[in-house]
Amino acid sequence: MVAPPENAPPDNDVLWARSLHHAHDGAPALVGVSLGVRQGEIVALTGPRGSGKTTLLRCLSGQLRPCEGEVWFNSVPVHTMGDLARERLRRDRFGWLGPEPQLLPELKVWENAALPLLLAGASHRSAKHAACEWLDRLDIGAFARKRPASLTRAECQRVALARALVNVPSVIYADEPTAPLHRADRALLLRTLTTAARSHEITVLLATDDEATAAAADRRLALVDGRLAVNGASPLPDTPEGQAACSLSA
Amino acid sequence: MLALRLARGSRPLVQLRRLLVAAASAGTGFLLLYVLAGAVARPAGSFPRLLWALVPLAATVHFAVAVARADPATRPREGLDAAGLGPVRLALAAAISTAVACALGSALALALFLHLRGDVAGLPFDGSGARLLHAEQPLPVAAALTLLALVPLTASAATVLALRPHRPLAPQTALPWGITLTACGLATEAYAGRDGGGVLAGWTLTAVGLALTGPGLAYACGSLVQAVRPGALRLLAGRSLQEQASRIGPPLGVLCSVAAGALTAFALRDRGGLHVPLGPLAWPAAALVALCAAATLLTSAVETRRSESPGRRAMLDLAAPARVLRTAAGVRAAALAAVCVPLSWGVAQLTSLALTR
Repeated sequence: MVAPPENAPPDNDVLWARSLHHAHDGAPALVGVSLGVRQGEIVALTGPRGSGKTTLLRCLSGQLRPCEGEVWFNSVPVHTMGDLARERLRRDRFGWLGPEPQLLPELKVWENAALPLLLAGASHRSAKHAACEWLDRLDIGAFARKRPASLTRAECQRVALARALVNVPSVIYADEPTAPLHRADRALLLRTLTTAARSHEITVLLATDDEATAAAADRRLALVDGRLAVNGASPLPDTPEGQAACSLSA
Repeated sequence: MLALRLARGSRPLVQLRRLLVAAASAGTGFLLLYVLAGAVARPAGSFPRLLWALVPLAATVHFAVAVARADPATRPREGLDAAGLGPVRLALAAAISTAVACALGSALALALFLHLRGDVAGLPFDGSGARLLHAEQPLPVAAALTLLALVPLTASAATVLALRPHRPLAPQTALPWGITLTACGLATEAYAGRDGGGVLAGWTLTAVGLALTGPGLAYACGSLVQAVRPGALRLLAGRSLQEQASRIGPPLGVLCSVAAGALTAFALRDRGGLHVPLGPLAWPAAALVALCAAATLLTSAVETRRSESPGRRAMLDLAAPARVLRTAAGVRAAALAAVCVPLSWGVAQLTSLALTR
């Protein structure tokens, strides 16, 4: 973790956040999270379900506006941007890979992969070329003209990875991308993601609760109950309050 | 009871749609009672009138089924499925709530009818309703109740049929049949002329034909929209139109045939118009059919919007501007209108040619 200076973030961090707070309908999801990520780094965010991994990724990628705190990308404040500017930033510089492939069933595989480029206004020909190139690299070029419904789940997830990579973003946010896959498919997807990230100097934030997946990262940050744990230790000791609150007779 | 509980807890827009079904059912029920009273007073020539009254009945049933399909309570839900309420029993629940809405409308129609005849308490409107509704003759109770039960029974049977789990057909499957039936309808009109049941039979065949043609037409529209190197907008608009063709197509075809009927009546206005033997209730009946057709199309559009919400979420995750999604919906609507308006006009031209031959 980087010690936050008074005002401007350090220059060598591509992504930098300070004391993020966020609550879902009053239930706190993030409590004072600060972190810095360097260019080309692969960082694993670990923690059990409900520890705030997805919320943190959504805050960092500009999908959610944090209730308090700052998010800086390449020395540009994301937390003060308008909705339109954040949409453009996400479309041009960020990639998103969720636990579900979220492919549009009515589009062919290559069209799904080319969607970020098409949305950014690229020409049909160049978008198709780029998408098919990425599909070939991810070893699913043969399915380019099929519909997602005829693909297996692992193949769909690789199409989603191609979609996240197609505009060569600066940062890829991967929210438990291997969760629905079997072990062999997990390893393959993870290897593809890390290889592509290293060869194109793409920063990856990888949220996972799987030890083997987290081991592929350069560095890991553990989230517990919306707080960052220091060196893997729990940020707060278990208080007797927890026991007191549980004194229900069920 | 479960159907009622599910119905009671739903959102105001859903309740409004059910109320519209009840209103349509009330209108149809009133029309059927009017035809019955007329048949008691003057039995001669009452059968064609009853047949004409079946057109609003069909429109009402079509609308009720569309509302039941769009009802969020009838969608299979994981929690309910786990509790043993799967797709089959949900279809039954939907049928019950449809029957309740339609029965409410029928009861309203009966009450209004009896009130206007002066059978309940005094005569409203200086007795002008009494003459129109043949108050001098007693109403046969069993026949009235049978006719009033027609809407709820048909609507709930159609709901069960429409909601039972089945494999969807490809949208172009019925296209040849649709074109054939439309042509048959036009031929019937040309053969039978403007008098008698020829117009009704011909128009019904045309309507069914256009309803069968609708999915194929919507699919072709989608194909045209996304043809030749599409960008994101045309791609999204065209492909989702192709995907929704089988849902949006039938009500679109029905609306086209209603519009064609209206255009025909307008074209023939100098020659006495279309002869609809429903007396002073012909215009309200026509308005009921048109409103039901339009409401059915709108309800189906709402249903498709719900079914594409996962795709919408995926698009928002991709940072697609909401403007793109809205514009895509606009492009879809414009493409459908660009096909349907000339289609209705063409069918109307052919119909008036056939009728004035």
